[in-house]
Amino acid sequence: MRISRGLAHAAMLAWGVVTALPLLWAVLSSFKSDHEILTAPWSIPQHPQWTNWSRAWNEADIGRYFLNSAIVVGGALVLTMLLGALVAYALARYEFPGNRLVYHTFVAAMFFPVFLALVPLFFVVKQLHLLDTYAGLILVYAAYAVPFTVFFLHAFFRTLPSSIAEAAFLDGCGHGAVFFRIMLPMARPGLVAVGIFNFLGLWNQYLLPLVLNSDPDRYVLAQGLAALSVSQGYRSDWSGLFAGLTIAMIPVLVAYVAFQRHIRAGMTTGAVR
Amino acid sequence: MSPSPTRRSLLRTAFTAGVAAPLLSACVTAGSDDDPKSQSGAKSADNPFGVKDDVPLEVVAFKGGYGDEYTKKAATAYEQRFPAAKVDHKGIQKVGEALQPRFVANTPPDVVDNTGAGRLDLATLVGAGQVSDLAELLDAPAHDDPAVKVRDTLLPGVVDDGTFDGKCVTLNFTYTVWGLWYSKSLFAQRGWTYPRTWDEMLTLCESIKAAGIAPWTYQGKYPEYINDPLLSMAAKVGGPDLVKAVDNLQPNAWKADGLKAAAEAFAELAGKGYLMSGSEALSHTEAQAAWCQQKAAFIPCGSWLESEQKDVTPAGFDMVMGAVPARTGADKLPVAAVLAASSESFLVPSKAKNRAGGLEYLRILFGKKSASDFAKTANTLPSVGGALDGLTLSSGLGSVRDAVTAAGRNTFTYRFRTWYAPLAKAVDDATGELVNRRATPTEWADRIQKAADAIAKDSSVKKFTR
Amino acid sequence: MRHGRYRFLAWALLPALALHAVFVLSPYAQAFYLSLTDWTGVAGNAHFVGLSNYRRLASDSLFLDAVRNNATMLVVVPLATVALGLFLASMLHVGGRDGRSAVRGAGGYQIVYFFPQLLSLVVIAVLWGFVYNPTNGLLNGALRGIGLDGLARSWLAEPSVALWAVMAVLVWSSVGFYLVLFSAAIDGIPKELYEAALLDGAGPWATFWRLTLPLVRDTVQVAFVYLGIVALDGFAVVQVMTVGPGGPDGATEVIGLSLYRTAFTYGKFGYASAMGVALFFATLTLAVLALRAGRKERLELA
Repeated sequence: MRISRGLAHAAMLAWGVVTALPLLWAVLSSFKSDHEILTAPWSIPQHPQWTNWSRAWNEADIGRYFLNSAIVVGGALVLTMLLGALVAYALARYEFPGNRLVYHTFVAAMFFPVFLALVPLFFVVKQLHLLDTYAGLILVYAAYAVPFTVFFLHAFFRTLPSSIAEAAFLDGCGHGAVFFRIMLPMARPGLVAVGIFNFLGLWNQYLLPLVLNSDPDRYVLAQGLAALSVSQGYRSDWSGLFAGLTIAMIPVLVAYVAFQRHIRAGMTTGAVR
Repeated sequence: MSPSPTRRSLLRTAFTAGVAAPLLSACVTAGSDDDPKSQSGAKSADNPFGVKDDVPLEVVAFKGGYGDEYTKKAATAYEQRFPAAKVDHKGIQKVGEALQPRFVANTPPDVVDNTGAGRLDLATLVGAGQVSDLAELLDAPAHDDPAVKVRDTLLPGVVDDGTFDGKCVTLNFTYTVWGLWYSKSLFAQRGWTYPRTWDEMLTLCESIKAAGIAPWTYQGKYPEYINDPLLSMAAKVGGPDLVKAVDNLQPNAWKADGLKAAAEAFAELAGKGYLMSGSEALSHTEAQAAWCQQKAAFIPCGSWLESEQKDVTPAGFDMVMGAVPARTGADKLPVAAVLAASSESFLVPSKAKNRAGGLEYLRILFGKKSASDFAKTANTLPSVGGALDGLTLSSGLGSVRDAVTAAGRNTFTYRFRTWYAPLAKAVDDATGELVNRRATPTEWADRIQKAADAIAKDSSVKKFTR
Repeated sequence: MRHGRYRFLAWALLPALALHAVFVLSPYAQAFYLSLTDWTGVAGNAHFVGLSNYRRLASDSLFLDAVRNNATMLVVVPLATVALGLFLASMLHVGGRDGRSAVRGAGGYQIVYFFPQLLSLVVIAVLWGFVYNPTNGLLNGALRGIGLDGLARSWLAEPSVALWAVMAVLVWSSVGFYLVLFSAAIDGIPKELYEAALLDGAGPWATFWRLTLPLVRDTVQVAFVYLGIVALDGFAVVQVMTVGPGGPDGATEVIGLSLYRTAFTYGKFGYASAMGVALFFATLTLAVLALRAGRKERLELA
């Protein structure tokens, strides 16, 4: 047992290093000068270059991309959660003809490759004059996040006890009031978990904005970083790129560490089902 | 958006324009045919288009990598020339989106800088008769030198670049040349001289290698960069006919002697180990940075390199660009010939209210003073000849100017890249294999020819000829 | 009440259904039609060409490269990820099998392991581009540092290793998530079963194969399906990180990249749609196979 425990620690430490090293290296590099990055990629920064961060934020437009991401993801998240929870609740708690059909219509879309829809989607969004707009991106993000949300919350709403809702109906509450005042608060753990998953998925979305959002002023963070790393003809800014990468990593890492209990709980729910 | 017309941005632009075209054509053909009379007055030697002093002028400029300061300056100069005229100057980024409806309504502005990813599709505009023939402007006296026609002040290829169906309808303001870059100080210090022939290049590479420096590096992640010197060399051997044959997808164009000789030259360069090891995986920034650290002596690139490297170039590096060496003693083009192309496209709508004013504005913009002001602030070569005369230039821009002067009329450009993107991809892939010694020159020519033939017989691809 | 019920249902379902129909269902449906045309994006100019796009696919060498690469990824990425994930997840529990809790520091490890899952594949691809840099990248630096100079190479530029370099990134970015998932599943196994196994004298290896694996089988099956979807994509990593991209000479081409280029660089929207339909059938086949395999095993168990 002792040997295998030693082996366990060694294996875990090794994978921990493999995971953390590239990330740490990016953070360290964001404090180096261009010269240091080019000549001594392994060294510790001599004089931390805080200006890399401000330059990345202002001049390399990471700040703008960050704001764009926040607007689009924020809008899409609210819309997704609202629509997804309504659909999941309606399908989970109400029997009506076509219930299963509607459910499968949503859930099947989860398993379709987005690439199949990509070309027609571009033209649908174009015809609605929503290319290169926040609204277009928000609607499309939400449309593609709702199926997973319905799938996840459907199971959640089914497990909730019906006694409280019935009591509320007897008290004269309408269907909408029961949903918003009683069922939604009861479903909070599920909402938090699926909300976090949706946030991560949407925040890191790349393909959809790449196709639907070609205006550099409206680039989201992933798009902006990709453009920054491949842009040709502009001044090279290595340290700025690393600072940009770090700026992009930090919010999700912080959110994760803060919410990791919810995420694990959500994953367990998903796994058990 | 990119301040330099890299292939990437050109391709992207071509695509966006292609997608934007259908909507515009639908609208343009639907527009009513009433032709608002353009206002003009008496023509004279210093007012060749008969601009009426009191008619306002509207200029819509693209505000991209170069900013829109230079177009504003020309607007101010116009107002000084015609004090009663008010110039309305707008710098925007999505030219197509803003102007499409106005072209449809027959109320376009008087000058349009049709540049950037969201630009209007020129072919559609031309087809709908919406753009002025600029012949009148080209034959007018130049703004700062009335003894010369505007046409003769422009660098070679600029009029061609703007010609559609035999009419010059647009003028490009910036000029890009491609060549080989090296550090003048490094070469001076080591006693190396820039080679004029390929044999000299190979000899020099031997001594560079012996000195412990890699002779060449290239932007391996994007093999198109190493294509430029290869195709330049081929164009020099075979002359304009070779370039035309390639662009016109003629049978066996890629098996011409010039291309074969150039492919063999680069295969030899790779075979002798003159390419810095690892180059094949380096991005443009990485390769260019290695070159700036003097890990390699030569790098192929366009004239934007100096500005791109501004922050990572060591002091005293003194980068300069040279023309690709001659392959043989019997090349059809002189050794000084360069690959060149213009961009930032200005046009005057045919339905403009102040068409004469629009032409006059372009005459001012393409004047020597305006062009040389632009060169000073943007550190970029404008398409107006002699614009850099008498200026103190950075080493890179100075060498670019010298290369253009030395080339004279001997510039060339390949069009297949913008016309047939899949062929460009096939060429890039093949050249990547060639310089990594995974394809022989014959295999290189065969596979590209196969791709070109496939495009030639694909009826779904719109064909162009030159 | 009855009236209110239907009004509520309409109110709850219709907006989402409308969004779904416009942005999800209709594009999926249109893709099938477009794949039978030669549409180049010009309005009203789509000609019906039957199956000729599909015939062309069969002789498009770059697309066939992409299919071959995605097929390799489909085999390697899920297997490697699940194997590594299961291995590390059981390592986390090695100390705890005799009734005690998991290895000390397990929580901390799980937080770190999960990090890559949180990052955009674009960020990951940019980072790994630097890791793979042949001259001063992290990987060659490490190899040279421990005296293995002979192993250092141009990871992304050699056709024989480039695809493996891409797959390594995909595995690296997904292991953490599945590790945490498997770990949660293992946590759900009653401790008594392990105590019984221990009493029977089963070693950790036997315990894993005979006890742990059968009991987390459902989770592993879900992991295979999701990882299969990841392996059929690969677009972001390839597009940002590889030579060309998709190179050298198609060595890392994936179907998504071919489709994207064909549509949005070449403007051949009909042909690109045919690629999408091909990818759809690949995904469908995968899902059906995975589900049938699962059902068969369940029947054998019963």
